[in-house]
Amino acid sequence: MIIKRILNTLFLLVTLFSFSQQNLYTSFSIPDNLKQNANAVVRDDATTIILQSSQSMLVTEKRIVTVLNKEGNDAVNAYMHYDDNVNVKTLEVLVYDNFGKVIKKIKEKDFRDVSAVDGGTLYSDSRVKYLEYTPIKYPYTIEFNSEYETNNTAFINSFFPVTEYFLSVENSSYTLSFPEELVIRKKEKNIEGYKISKDLTSTKIHYSIKNVSGIKPEDYSPNFSDIVPKVMFASKQFSLKGVNSEVENWNEFGTWMYHDLIKSTHDLSEGTIIKIQELVKNEPDNIAKAKKIYQYVQDKVRYISVQVGIGGWQPFNASEVDRLGYGDCKGLTNYTMALLNAVGIESNYSVVFAGDSQRSLEKDFAAMQGNHVILNIPNNDEDIWLECTSQKLPFGFIGDFTDDRDVLVITPEGGKIQHTKKYIPEESLQTIKGICDISNDGSIKAMVNVNSKGIQYDNKYWLETETERDLDVYYKRRWKYINNMSINSMSIENDKNTIELIENINFQAVNYTKKVGERMLVNLNVLNRNTHIPDRYRSRKLPLKINRGFKDVDEVEINLPPDYNIESLPKGQSLETDFGSYTTEISVIDNSKIKYKRTFIINDGEFPKEDYAAFRTFYKEVSKLDNAKVALIKK
Amino acid sequence: MKLTSLLLTLCFSLTVFAQDYHFGKVSKEELQEKFNPLDSSASATYLYKYRKSFYEYVEPSGFRLVTEVHERIKIYNQEGFDYATKTNRLSTSGGSDEEIRNLKAYTYHLVNGKVEETKLSKDGIFKTELSKYTNEYKFTMPDIKPGCIVEYKYRVNSPFIYNVDQFVFQYDIPVKKIQARFEAPEYFTFKESTRGYLSITPKKSSQADKIKLTSRTSIGRSYSEDLNFKKNITEFDLNNVPALKDEPYVNNINNYKSSVKYELSYTKYPDAPIKSYTTSWSDVVNTIYDNSNFGPELNKKGYFEEEIDALISTVSDPIQRTTLIFNYVKNKVKWNGYYGYGTNDGVKKAYKEQVGNVAEINLMLTAMLQHAGLRAYPVLVSTRQHGVPLFPTLEGYNYVVSYVKINDGGMLLDGTSRFSRPNVLPFRTLNWQGRVIAEAGGSTLIDLYPKQTSQNSVFFMASLSENGDLSGGYRSIKKSHKALSFRERYIDVDRDDFIARLENNYGGLEISDYNVKNELDLSKPIVESYKFVKESQADIIGDKMYFSPLFFLKTTDNPFKLSKREFPVDFGYPSKMNSKIVVKIPEGYRIESLPESGGLELPDDLGKFIYQVSGTGNTIQVSVLHEVNSAIINPAYYEALKSYFAQMIEKENEQIVLSRI
Repeated sequence: MIIKRILNTLFLLVTLFSFSQQNLYTSFSIPDNLKQNANAVVRDDATTIILQSSQSMLVTEKRIVTVLNKEGNDAVNAYMHYDDNVNVKTLEVLVYDNFGKVIKKIKEKDFRDVSAVDGGTLYSDSRVKYLEYTPIKYPYTIEFNSEYETNNTAFINSFFPVTEYFLSVENSSYTLSFPEELVIRKKEKNIEGYKISKDLTSTKIHYSIKNVSGIKPEDYSPNFSDIVPKVMFASKQFSLKGVNSEVENWNEFGTWMYHDLIKSTHDLSEGTIIKIQELVKNEPDNIAKAKKIYQYVQDKVRYISVQVGIGGWQPFNASEVDRLGYGDCKGLTNYTMALLNAVGIESNYSVVFAGDSQRSLEKDFAAMQGNHVILNIPNNDEDIWLECTSQKLPFGFIGDFTDDRDVLVITPEGGKIQHTKKYIPEESLQTIKGICDISNDGSIKAMVNVNSKGIQYDNKYWLETETERDLDVYYKRRWKYINNMSINSMSIENDKNTIELIENINFQAVNYTKKVGERMLVNLNVLNRNTHIPDRYRSRKLPLKINRGFKDVDEVEINLPPDYNIESLPKGQSLETDFGSYTTEISVIDNSKIKYKRTFIINDGEFPKEDYAAFRTFYKEVSKLDNAKVALIKK
Repeated sequence: MKLTSLLLTLCFSLTVFAQDYHFGKVSKEELQEKFNPLDSSASATYLYKYRKSFYEYVEPSGFRLVTEVHERIKIYNQEGFDYATKTNRLSTSGGSDEEIRNLKAYTYHLVNGKVEETKLSKDGIFKTELSKYTNEYKFTMPDIKPGCIVEYKYRVNSPFIYNVDQFVFQYDIPVKKIQARFEAPEYFTFKESTRGYLSITPKKSSQADKIKLTSRTSIGRSYSEDLNFKKNITEFDLNNVPALKDEPYVNNINNYKSSVKYELSYTKYPDAPIKSYTTSWSDVVNTIYDNSNFGPELNKKGYFEEEIDALISTVSDPIQRTTLIFNYVKNKVKWNGYYGYGTNDGVKKAYKEQVGNVAEINLMLTAMLQHAGLRAYPVLVSTRQHGVPLFPTLEGYNYVVSYVKINDGGMLLDGTSRFSRPNVLPFRTLNWQGRVIAEAGGSTLIDLYPKQTSQNSVFFMASLSENGDLSGGYRSIKKSHKALSFRERYIDVDRDDFIARLENNYGGLEISDYNVKNELDLSKPIVESYKFVKESQADIIGDKMYFSPLFFLKTTDNPFKLSKREFPVDFGYPSKMNSKIVVKIPEGYRIESLPESGGLELPDDLGKFIYQVSGTGNTIQVSVLHEVNSAIINPAYYEALKSYFAQMIEKENEQIVLSRI
């Protein structure tokens, strides 16, 4: 009680102090450099976390944000997630007009209170209270006060001042206090070059940052989380839904997850175990067995998102998935693991940040991270990774959802960080073979065979199950530069063994060529014209990052119309850059046929921002060369 | 062998099965079916869909609405797995809740020639409180594999007797058999409205029924008596209903979905007066008008009188007065994003807090205009997303705008949109007809589709260099809806970002001196101008240069890709694009040939395209006009429209040839 009073007084002093410094409740006092690239400015954010013990944490935040325009409304971030383990103590908002006058007070009961279910989730036991406010005028300022207590200390909020693009930060501070017997670990990211001050003692950690200008998103740039400053914290001793644990590194973290969350869920019935053993008994080796089991899982269970249990971290029991025939990523991965285990194949539950941005888990900072689970099967040098939520992906294929990043692999002996499969450009190969007939009237008839592998397979495998009506529209879009197209036949074959998608399409189009008097102009690249040019930036700020490379090889025979001769033929071209290469070969066969060969490679990699312009120029050149035309003249 | 099996199949399909639609009587044939023979692209099919809604008397609260549902769904492949999850939204309000009872659900498989079933257990049922007024009741079926059948039945008890959900007969998957039944005691009179392309013929009948009423005498003895009454029954029975699929430029696919809606007109209990809900448009209008959140809100004037009197004191011209008040409301009260023809917090509070829903803003606007002596009326609107009201219903509308009659003409106003102008309403409201509510309670229809053509005029001057690069200036003048949509995209967006996107739209154009005029002066058209450079805009082959004189302005993609169309094409408003292009050719070249001038026309004056080109010396002039004169185009013209676009694209692509002197 006394402690609380002292705290309150302290708090009051701090508040009064910052008040007297300057008026934060009007946009007039925002320094000019913070107004650029900003839809909103965090004037002052004070987050105070009191870790009372490993079982109790009090989090207080006071956040003052000036919103400059409509696009900045989201940056207010006035919301709170809660569930049974969170006791919301304060939640309120004050709205100020630009003269610094309070125009509205919004209390907790006026916050919208809804289930925190997104579209893809069937059920979740977490809820969210959020502010719904319609601004009357811009700029305006919001003061958001929140306080909550939780017995869940597995997640300690990070110091994360810049939460989004187009947001400047004038002042943001973070204080974490804790009893001396708790061991707090921390990890700083991207803090170089920022005005950061810190103060670390045996019971308190304090960080603050000043004067951060807004960041503008740019095409082909690193992940947002790799650009902005962040300091993460974790307590060695923590509690999750009433279960106490101690963890200091990934190895211990893995041990804890394995023994507390996973092990007990492997409860397959004797009947299922026998059935699975029977299923694979004739398979020659472990890989063949695993493949059969993966197929079994894909045929039997479907993905459904249900977020319940220990912070949404504990998988459903394997027996339950077996009975229901569905589960979420944790449940399905765990189920597959239990089945493999039943036939003596070792596999490991692995935690990952899913999504095509290739975000890695922090290698040297063990804490609750990630948003998805996949399965790892150790296999000498090249481990096999399984995406257990997909009923379609081939065995061992993870695609751009979890490729090329650091993940946590959990083994009975502990956890370790491993890197998932990276698809190099040569593996993400698309080969087009085509025969095109041009007639005297300028129309075209094409027979196309497209073979896609790697990430290019990933981009297209879903075509297999599209309806004919949707495919028709899809192909007309893929070749949208061909007007008047009509498709005669389409067939799609998904070879899951070799992991190749094979498309055979026949189409025709009237007036494909451009007829001018006696001449006919024919664009030689019929089937794979690059129309993409990366955005132009007047001054590029962020480094250039190409997440994934690819390789396209096209070989097309063009049969010329009988009544025409070649008047002039473009030359083959070759471009070589750090970002990729481009070559075309154009040759004439028997005066009636042109053979067009094109190879286009983009390499993945990270380059300094100065290289962006050259990268863009490369794409521009490719688009230009893809427009090369042959001129024909009437015989 | 092959022939025999073919014959067998034939016999097979000729045999008419006596399907058993009783719950649980799933047949082997149904389980064996690999695809829907009438639509092989269907990922799932309703084999049977049944719904019965009726009234049940429960003491002491009275009638409640009960809906029984029974569905049997065949799932052919993984794409159809979504149909294994059923979601119900249930209303809750003031302690009265809709509730789901008696759920029974099974998944069926054929295993070694035998039908096996898996029961839905409690852990597959999920209840969520979505908001104060809505609960969600979801269940997902166990053991779902391609080829399986799911079947479930349940009932929904509802205290909201006037709220009978629409009977829907068409879905995004096909239906083999659908049966529906609606029973209502003679005390309830409903309005029935049908929409969609299917011919639906309900079977009507009536039956005697009774309820037992229990009463207590003054000395505490209870006795019961029967109350006999008649109930009216409507039955529907449809077979093989095709799936409904969306298409581009369809206003709202639900407008074409076959369905029947019942709306309570009035109730007349024995020995009680008639309680009217709605029966005709004038009833709808009266009911809405009498509702405390409409008429009375419209008639409140005190809260703004002082300010409005001051605002208009020096102006007497009705158009000027309208404009002043319209701008005043737009500046004063911001829209909170909520729809509705009824107010939520009330006009007074909205005025004070400067935030309101659609009704608060537009009823306030109407009231102010009336106060200023103008003939102003609220107009009920159904937004595009909401669909088209064909029959008198309260729920047919979800929005209100304002209409001012001035002399012989009039102006439609919507104060919720920052960039909307008189007669240029936001796109969401451009939906067939609105209903103008007159003083005396009468109402008339008003066309919401704009008559006025929205224009975009482009002036384009450029010179082509020897190596095919193009540089020059672009200027465009956008009016009405073209200006509105530009303002919505441009204002408040990061300028550099906007330009970058524009550059990207034109495939790597490089823009400088970008300038927009009148972006905040709504009374004037938007004038957008910039300088540009674009590389390799001509093909240089031998000693000739080839190019299309529209360069990057040409239309490249035909929006109409499907070969057939069943629904009207809805552009929202008539439009006109007018381009004047002047190109200077490089020195050392002369014009060898120009495309022919020409034009295209859509039938019945629905649209036209005119292309003119001329060249003198080193200058080429092109003028292109493209206009669509109607907001809506009937599907009968689809072929014509599709080929119109294809030919337009071709014409715009025709080449100019230059040759070296």
